[in-house]
Amino acid sequence: MAKIEPGMEAMLDMYFYETNSLLEQLDEILLRTEQANAFESDDIKEIFRIMHTIKGSSAMMGFDNLSVLAHKAEDMFFVIRENPDVITDVSFVYDLVFQVSDSYKAQIEAIQNNVGGEYELTDFDDLIDKLMKGRDTLLGETSGAAPAPASNEKPKTTVKVYFEEGCQMENLRAFLLINTIRDDCSFLEFTPNDVETNSESSKIIMEQGFLITFVPIDDTDSILKQVESALNVQAYEVGETGDSSKPAAAPVPAAELPPEPETVKETIPEVAAPAPAPTPAPAPTPTAPTAIEKAQAAVAQAQASSGAQKQSLISVNLAKLDALHDIVGEIITTESMVISNPDLEGLELESFNKAARELRKLTSELQDTVMSIRMVPLAGVFQKMNRIVRDMRKKLGKEVDFVIEGEDTEVDKSIVDSLQDPLMHLVRNCMDHGIEEHVEDRINAGKPEKGTLKLIAQNASGEVIITVSDDGQGIDPEKIMNKARRQGILTKPESEYTEKEIQNLILLPGFSTNETVTEFSGRGVGMDVVKANIEKCGGVIIVDSTKGEGTSFIIKIPLTMAIIDGMEVTCGDLVFTVPISTIKQSFKAESSQMLRDTGGNEMIMIRGVCYPILRMHEKFGIETEVTNLEDGILLLVEADNKAVCLFADKLIGEQQVVVKPFPKYLSRYNIKDEGLSGCTIMGDGSISLIVDTNTLIG
Amino acid sequence: MTNDVIKEAVAKQQSGDRKLIADNSVLGKAMTFNIGDQVYGIEIQYVKEIIGVQRITKVPHVPSYIKGIINVRSKVVPIIDIRTRFGKPEIPYTNRTCIISLELGDVSVGIIVDSVADVADIHTGEISATPDNHAVNTNDFIQYMIRSDDTTKLILDVAKLLDEQDI
Repeated sequence: MAKIEPGMEAMLDMYFYETNSLLEQLDEILLRTEQANAFESDDIKEIFRIMHTIKGSSAMMGFDNLSVLAHKAEDMFFVIRENPDVITDVSFVYDLVFQVSDSYKAQIEAIQNNVGGEYELTDFDDLIDKLMKGRDTLLGETSGAAPAPASNEKPKTTVKVYFEEGCQMENLRAFLLINTIRDDCSFLEFTPNDVETNSESSKIIMEQGFLITFVPIDDTDSILKQVESALNVQAYEVGETGDSSKPAAAPVPAAELPPEPETVKETIPEVAAPAPAPTPAPAPTPTAPTAIEKAQAAVAQAQASSGAQKQSLISVNLAKLDALHDIVGEIITTESMVISNPDLEGLELESFNKAARELRKLTSELQDTVMSIRMVPLAGVFQKMNRIVRDMRKKLGKEVDFVIEGEDTEVDKSIVDSLQDPLMHLVRNCMDHGIEEHVEDRINAGKPEKGTLKLIAQNASGEVIITVSDDGQGIDPEKIMNKARRQGILTKPESEYTEKEIQNLILLPGFSTNETVTEFSGRGVGMDVVKANIEKCGGVIIVDSTKGEGTSFIIKIPLTMAIIDGMEVTCGDLVFTVPISTIKQSFKAESSQMLRDTGGNEMIMIRGVCYPILRMHEKFGIETEVTNLEDGILLLVEADNKAVCLFADKLIGEQQVVVKPFPKYLSRYNIKDEGLSGCTIMGDGSISLIVDTNTLIG
Repeated sequence: MTNDVIKEAVAKQQSGDRKLIADNSVLGKAMTFNIGDQVYGIEIQYVKEIIGVQRITKVPHVPSYIKGIINVRSKVVPIIDIRTRFGKPEIPYTNRTCIISLELGDVSVGIIVDSVADVADIHTGEISATPDNHAVNTNDFIQYMIRSDDTTKLILDVAKLLDEQDI
């Protein structure tokens, strides 16, 4: 058991955020390269950097086990990095690194759940053992493979050196640099080549950099080190000439040295404004740096690198965005109050109106911008599905192509967070139940051997539609019916169920057709949780399946929960907002359309279909003079594949409204279960109640 | 004010010790208001602001003493009619009728009162415990009383008022 040191708590958030995003990055690289079945040297460097940063920050936070684990993983990649050709069989590397990544996530979650309390430090001995073995295997391969490239003629290496801006006399500095490395090179060439005599060349160096081509006597790294530590060198770029297949060894400092800023910049010398601290590279400190120093250096490196690469990104506390969003909502309401102020009525206000229009334009722009800040792409969630498919593919032995489309579709941050679990369930279900167990079954059905699992997101008129589909065996309505009968979840005679309704039975609580519970699914808690989660963020889920051809789960979610398009209707002295997305039609009723069923319930016939009528004034207990159906207005609303006609007094019009939850004091009364989801402040400052079509109908 | 402070103040007066009885230090301030001819008070730290009566939007499916919700500078605040809450007959709102906006933690409500009186100091010597007589002590909402001169002010227990489930 361990506890977080008191002084460290403030940094925990940052640590979690940073480590989690690094791990996600790691997963992404692994998945990408696994498909290509080869590590690019850039990828290896990146993995190395991630491990190094995690090692450093974990050590700083006092999570020694994590630090050691990262260190061992780093060791393994050290071998790979130094000898990129040695990897003959990479699959075990992937398995190992995925295990490392999982262990990390598990441990971090454990810590996160117990902030301030005690938490268990997992022992990673097994994994570390495996990593060591992995490294040894790789080393074994190295000793066999390494001599081959070494016996080749040494390749020429080209380095482009950039000096600090404004350091002056670039040509002489370049000359000094050449003199320093001359003794260690068997071949040396540089452009411009008249640096010693021609002071004009400093201009060229300033603009285009100083180009050195050399063949080292010993190794390239030692030369690069010299270049790196030369005075006033700001950045350098390593290129390659010659015909050797051996890629340039990257001059990243050895793992145990504090990383110098240059290592970061060398990969991105084009960045115009480099991260702060462009001091000349300090020569490696002779004394061994302490763990803390190392850790800080690693953090600094991470910050510098992320600062340089993703300069345009900052991370902001979500609470601040929420506050900003609230204020903008208030500004818009207040603006309407000012512009349509009753005091102004009947006045000729030409310039006022002009200014007001300008203001309205700006505030709506402001609102759009604030909304867009909260929008994040679905890519993060989708990438995680990649991982799940990968794992299940291995465990279940099913050959599946996983296709992702539209991952850059953007959705409100809060919605993205609540989408992850449902999507995970759906993807698992498709893998487990959807795709056929045996390849023969697929071949017999005339389908390609390899199954296809698609995850598609698209934008459609204020909604995002996410489809999870497979080309597997589809849903067998008979099986579903049998199961439902046994579970006793049928609510009406069997013959009345349409195929669509039968398919949607699988979304009910306690329904699971899989006879045996597997690791991935079959406990019957999956689908109804999926449904509940999606409904929680204002979305709906529909099952669409054809037996033998496949199953699609279609999820429709709003772009944001905070602003909806609403239709304002009055009922008595109250104003209600009905979400436009649920309204199919609004119309005046005629007496010829009215019906009553045997229970005396009012119904209305529209184009041959009968819909029940829900009188809002009765439902919400409002006094109104409009009680005759022909005098008021009817709204045909649909949700959950059910439809009713709402009866209200009068239509006011369409309006975009900012959804506000009911005050906390009222949460003890179940207003929400009675079909009202919240309220909104309208332009004139009065309050309108937002109808929740789902619960109203259900 | 915590119940301990009140008990201590009451104990001082009943102690018979002349020195303690003479202690008349100010413990706090209370905003006082009228309901009918009774004066009530609310400790000042709970009072956020006083607003005039405005259009109240009814909310369905809530007890009758919750009159609805209003918009106070873009915040939606529920409104409790104290008269109805205490089982007194409703009277039409006049231009003296006020809404006192209260805040306790992150819960805020407005209460409708007949009229606002003033802000009074609470002295140790004036505090007395509520009698067990339920005719006076409406639904236990009174935390303690202040007797000064010839009036008795009933100080409301805001925590109970905001937290009470239906009785």
